[in-house]
Amino acid sequence: MAEAIPAVAVSTTTTRVNLTGSWKYIRPVWRDRVAPCNAACPVGVDIEGYMNLLREGRDSEAIDLLLRENPLPAITGRVCDHPCETACNRCSLDEGVAVHAVERALGDAALARTQGEARARRNADRIAVIGSGPAGLSAAVFLTRLGYAVTILEAAPEPGGLLRLGIPPYRLPRDVLDRQIAQIRAEGVSILCNVRMGRDLAWDTLDWFDAVFVATGAHRSRPLDVQGEELPGVHAGLEYLRRANDGHAPDLGKQVVVVGGGNTAMDCARSARRQGADVLVLYRRTREEMPAIADEITEAAAEGVRFLFLAAPIEVMEQQGRLCGVAAQRMVLGSPDASGRRRPVPSDEAPFSITADAVITAIGEEVDGAHLPFALEGGAVPVDVLGRTAAPHFFAGGDMAGHERTVAHAIGAGKRAAIGIDRHLRARRGESPPPDDVAALRWGGAGNLSMSRWRQDDPVPRIDPVNEVVEWADINAAHFAPAPRLLDWIVPPGRGRSGMREVNRGLSRSEATSEAKRCLNCGVCNDCQVCMIFCPDAAITPDPSGHGFMVDLDYCKGCGLCAAECPRGAVTMTREGL
Amino acid sequence: MKKVMVGNHAVSWGVKLARAEVISAYPITPQTQIVEELSEMVAGGDLPARFIKVESEHSAMAACIGASATGARTFTATSSQGLALMHELLHWAAGGRLPVVMADVNRALAPGWNIWTDQNDSLAQRDTGWIQLYCENNQEVLDTTILAFRLAEVVDLPVMLVLDAFYLSHTSEPVDVPDAALVDDFLPPREARHRLDTADPRSYGALVKPDAYMEMRLQQQQAMTAAGEAHERFVQDWSARTGRAWPALEAYRADDAELVLVTSGTITSTAREVVDSWRARGERVGLVKVKMFRPFPTAALRAMLRGKRRVAVLDRNISPGHGGIFAEEIRSALYDVPLDDRPALWGFILGLGGRDVTPETIDEIVVRTREAEGAPEREDIWVGVKV
Repeated sequence: MAEAIPAVAVSTTTTRVNLTGSWKYIRPVWRDRVAPCNAACPVGVDIEGYMNLLREGRDSEAIDLLLRENPLPAITGRVCDHPCETACNRCSLDEGVAVHAVERALGDAALARTQGEARARRNADRIAVIGSGPAGLSAAVFLTRLGYAVTILEAAPEPGGLLRLGIPPYRLPRDVLDRQIAQIRAEGVSILCNVRMGRDLAWDTLDWFDAVFVATGAHRSRPLDVQGEELPGVHAGLEYLRRANDGHAPDLGKQVVVVGGGNTAMDCARSARRQGADVLVLYRRTREEMPAIADEITEAAAEGVRFLFLAAPIEVMEQQGRLCGVAAQRMVLGSPDASGRRRPVPSDEAPFSITADAVITAIGEEVDGAHLPFALEGGAVPVDVLGRTAAPHFFAGGDMAGHERTVAHAIGAGKRAAIGIDRHLRARRGESPPPDDVAALRWGGAGNLSMSRWRQDDPVPRIDPVNEVVEWADINAAHFAPAPRLLDWIVPPGRGRSGMREVNRGLSRSEATSEAKRCLNCGVCNDCQVCMIFCPDAAITPDPSGHGFMVDLDYCKGCGLCAAECPRGAVTMTREGL
Repeated sequence: MKKVMVGNHAVSWGVKLARAEVISAYPITPQTQIVEELSEMVAGGDLPARFIKVESEHSAMAACIGASATGARTFTATSSQGLALMHELLHWAAGGRLPVVMADVNRALAPGWNIWTDQNDSLAQRDTGWIQLYCENNQEVLDTTILAFRLAEVVDLPVMLVLDAFYLSHTSEPVDVPDAALVDDFLPPREARHRLDTADPRSYGALVKPDAYMEMRLQQQQAMTAAGEAHERFVQDWSARTGRAWPALEAYRADDAELVLVTSGTITSTAREVVDSWRARGERVGLVKVKMFRPFPTAALRAMLRGKRRVAVLDRNISPGHGGIFAEEIRSALYDVPLDDRPALWGFILGLGGRDVTPETIDEIVVRTREAEGAPEREDIWVGVKV
């Protein structure tokens, strides 16, 4: 008798006779969602996507995926204020992924690759882009890739716009900029320099083009509106930077006061510091309200730039016709203004003076509307989401168009305008453009637009994608061990000519890959098999396609362990189809 | 190859030579060195095993049970409170007939908090269905670790190998480390009779009704009996390969002895010295070392002690309200010996919580046993206590 009974408590038949699937009232579905970094990126890069490819060792495909949405990664990897890293779900675990450093490593690797052939022109439409800053370069590349013949007209002797005139070489080395632009030219974009619209060429000359994208930026430094501003020794921030970046910095003397708290102010302060001056930044609010990129503020302070917060200049002082200092007023923070920041108001304290040999003003730049073919509203060119202006065939974007003034936002605006122009011209050619649902093109419904979605040629295999951003609450932190964020290699600045060498040396390729492995791949199934391992009914098996999973509904009892255990929120339980 | 190593590392080396595939453990003094060394062997690639970190001994045993159920050769180690925490799962491993091997470094239970040696932790697990093997020196520890895997896998029962805290765990001795080829020949890869298989899914450990439960327990008991026989075979096999035999029971100068000491663990080595000194004086004193506590070697023990006049059992443990656990087991085993041949038995309690057991302590036991008149005055005689 005992022989008939097994030695252990094991069922005498396979448990397959028990169709546990009949118990369920919900079932799992695998649905790729959107990582918060993608949704936060002003350019609209598939950050999660290239991180995943890097994790798998598919570096070349990672570079392709990045370039597909951002043609200037070697630049944004250096100068973007990376809102993706603040949005990163990993911030709730330990520290956000150093996306900028990974992007930079991939961008540099892209520059080192053999250049491909120029994109073939696929239609007769011709497009002019006015301005070769980040918005213009972005629109031009995307339109070229869409099959258009694109010509950029640039007023300056060299292309790059603010990238060249405004950003110092120690943040963006000129050879990186030159190679990035050379790559863009290699894709088939023509760039004509020394052509200033409205002066060298009349705007109506552009009637010859089928569409025009205007992105001439905001270059006029806002005046301080204080007495003494016209004194020699008072420099407008952008003009000072243009000369300093060119190697022809004006003599500033020993003591320099920089007025303002944005990136221009930081760049001016750091450049003046490299000229050997003692630099004091005067900002009317506090460090928390400074619009400059946090990294730049940190690096400026590390380089010896001093800050005086809650202080505003009320006069530039002179002695015998020479600038001798700044009279300033202590400020306090009042109620929030339109930007949401607390408005600075003068305190009751008596004004005080600061000795200075030079003053650099960097309190913001304005759009010069004098030579534009359209009227400004509130200091900016009014455009819709796809960059359309009131003037037919005219599109606009970049710093002149009222959105946040960062390189990334400008590249994003260029992309949106490229989609707007393509849509406009395809309709005019009688082709049926893809559906007019811009929200569907936006990462997570509110992020920037995806060019892959517009072109409907996304190379990433996505499982029943939904345009919904994954939150930290959707992540199963138990599956991720803490791992420190890799830090950029920062070198101290030199003086004189060596002061222009790059301060941030970034990460090596292998470090970038390590950092990519910190990515949680929020919302996107990366075949980690956790669902399969945890399924108590062994009802989950890999999909024969090699990506994703199948569930055997005869045995899935709808317990939801797969969805609860999925590290990245790519599995959800649903009543659909039951 | 001879190496000098502590008893804990002798376990680690045994596990490495046995090619354990899954190791899961939670650190506890005085065991920690065992799994620390193993974790380094695994991390360094010297031992191609999975090392599973867990948050408690309960989970460590659970992980071993799961891994063993898939057919993997599995090891863990613990001590004292850690073993106590595992208690429920010890039944699962044994009832599931899973050949998990575990090292228990004997350590006293708290309170009072105590990290020194004492057998109560392992003996408290007497009825969980685990084979228990007690070791005397570091060579025996290494050899027993390897043998434990073979024994466990042949009879489908878990094995606990037991070594004394500090006297073995942290004491260095020269140990002959056998060649991997020798061990591989002695210990073939595990062939599980039952294993979890997703291609043929079955339910394990589910409800067993009264109409089948007893038969399972009977088979477990039969496996225990078989384990005793298998152990003897493997001891001989190992001895043929290495020249070293560690039998379930060892008689030392006991053939003509009138008074026999019965010991386990490291007290045995001290007792050997004491026996030698009495022999040198012409006194017929001998020793029986008990290595195997479960299955209990009842028949062999009866044969060894039959006809002796006096037996003194040395227990580094206490079953409160009864007596020394080895003494009670041996007294019970001797009950079936006819009265004329049945020795009188004195049970001594000593060395609890790591108290030193010196030759003088054992001398005192010999003297008290020799000079006792009539039956023992009580079942538990406490030696070396400050009263």
